[in-house]
Amino acid sequence: MSTSTSRGTATTAAGTDARALPRLETGNPHLDLILGGGFPGNSINIIMGEPGSGKTILAERLVFQNARPGDRSILYLTTLSEPLDKVVRYLQQFSFFDEALLGNPILYDSIGDALVEQGVSMLVPRLKEAITRDKPKIIVIDSFKAIHDLGASLPEMRRTLYAMAGLLTAYETTAFLIGEYGAAEAAHYPEFAIADSIIELARNKTGTRDERYLRILKLRGSAYREGLHAFRVSPDGLEVFPRLVSPQLPPSYRLQVERVSTGVDGLDRMLGGGLPQGRSTFLLGPTGSGKTTLALQFVLEGVRRGEKCLYVNFEENPSQLAQQMASLGANPEELAKKGLQVVYRSPVELQIDSIISEVFRAVSERGVRRAVIDGVGDLLVAASDAQRLHDYLYALAQHFAARDALAIFTYETTQDGGGLWARLSALADNIIRLDVETDGKVRRTIRIVKARGVDHKLDTGEDRITRAGVQVG
Amino acid sequence: MTRTQPSGERVAVVVEREGQARELEAHFLRDIGFQVELAADGATGWDRVQQLHPHLVVSEVLVPRMDGLALCRQIKSSPATREIPVLIVSMLAATARSRDAGADAFLLKPLSQERLAGEIARLVPEPAAARTEEGA
Repeated sequence: MSTSTSRGTATTAAGTDARALPRLETGNPHLDLILGGGFPGNSINIIMGEPGSGKTILAERLVFQNARPGDRSILYLTTLSEPLDKVVRYLQQFSFFDEALLGNPILYDSIGDALVEQGVSMLVPRLKEAITRDKPKIIVIDSFKAIHDLGASLPEMRRTLYAMAGLLTAYETTAFLIGEYGAAEAAHYPEFAIADSIIELARNKTGTRDERYLRILKLRGSAYREGLHAFRVSPDGLEVFPRLVSPQLPPSYRLQVERVSTGVDGLDRMLGGGLPQGRSTFLLGPTGSGKTTLALQFVLEGVRRGEKCLYVNFEENPSQLAQQMASLGANPEELAKKGLQVVYRSPVELQIDSIISEVFRAVSERGVRRAVIDGVGDLLVAASDAQRLHDYLYALAQHFAARDALAIFTYETTQDGGGLWARLSALADNIIRLDVETDGKVRRTIRIVKARGVDHKLDTGEDRITRAGVQVG
Repeated sequence: MTRTQPSGERVAVVVEREGQARELEAHFLRDIGFQVELAADGATGWDRVQQLHPHLVVSEVLVPRMDGLALCRQIKSSPATREIPVLIVSMLAATARSRDAGADAFLLKPLSQERLAGEIARLVPEPAAARTEEGA
């Protein structure tokens, strides 16, 4: 496609501004987001990771995403690691598989036998033949690493790779080299030098579960989201949860902010008029101190004011939570109709990236004004990396603030052996501590440990839990 | 002036530094009926142009011994060769510089067979209208 001008003047291909690299969608909007819009078009890319990490699924999803009947072909070449029949057999399990696209435009072929018979020297002529005959817009070679196992010398591989890079760079095609590479191979295999992008898929065993992550190691000429991004394999391909980062524009702190009721009058008085809008609060206390009850009162107050609310909890299952709501005089079904979204995740199956991603979506897309995360301790147990959780909660608090939403994070202090809550609670603007004192007489207490920018009472107040919930004073 | 081969094929000179790209361009040009002469640098390209008076010159900007734009200027400044269409195909987004050098068209790499064929069809019409030694 070109814009023609009259003879004697130069023309240029339309839409081929060298500064704006065309992008190739992966079929996964979250992965495209991480890649800054998708893989760069007309490039050479490596997808690396141990066997079973999801490399082939990522590539297959991308292939089907870009396949259009009658369009230029997409060539999927298998080598020596997996027989072609096996690749196609398992591929059919996925929702994106479309048999009608096989043969035109998606072409599967195996070059395993030819590689064994002729060695790596067959690779460039085979690719040239494919380019001139099939005109592929995408070429996948799975597994490229297996080609090294043919025993080719490093100089021979370098010569082959140099010629292959020349060919693939000259022609309008995007290539994907898939391989079970580890860090050692990435350091000295020549294909890593010619790659425009490298994406790594990894799997970490945490307790009885596996956590999968992907990260971009290299992406030429483009910004991308750094760090580990969690994903899981689903029938639709990879479900990716981009690492939550703080909003680009940090929330500005206003000196005068609107105060909103917590739903507990006595607590509002201790806070000098309620919680400041757009701030996050850590609600600490031992088990049985009333954290969940107070947090529920907080969202019930939000619903009463017509606000969209979110309650995320990991301990009470939906019927237990409904019972608690009912004991406060609320009707759970009515609450749902009026804008309360309850998210329950079993602490056993908890994956922090997916839950944080869900909370973030609820706040950004549903316009949630009040949110409760009950409780952070469960997230901490589920997180393989406390620093990662800390960063997530910080980013989440910043996003709440940027949207002027209120958030309460509950934290059971007895879960904590070493004052970790102190580090986590530094993320919050306010800290409220509930306690149960048992010296002589059992006494419930409530104390404002910190309330940033708010004139508040420093005294410890007494509270009690009644049928109406937590009552202070 | 331009020589048509006895076979009736039109002649193109391809000036390209990179072997794989050179061969690919040659293949695409042969596919649309050209006889292709290759040169890996601008000076050799200029020799070929003078010898063959081709129907078309396709050149990369980044070639040694005389860059593609200098070659283009050379072709366009010589009365014997100035009518030969020059197509610059480059990884450099050199549209304006190509125009200034007198190029008839510019295409940004990577190569697309369709774009290349389309541009050439515009620059060098089909054999019926092709220039021959007799007709020139």
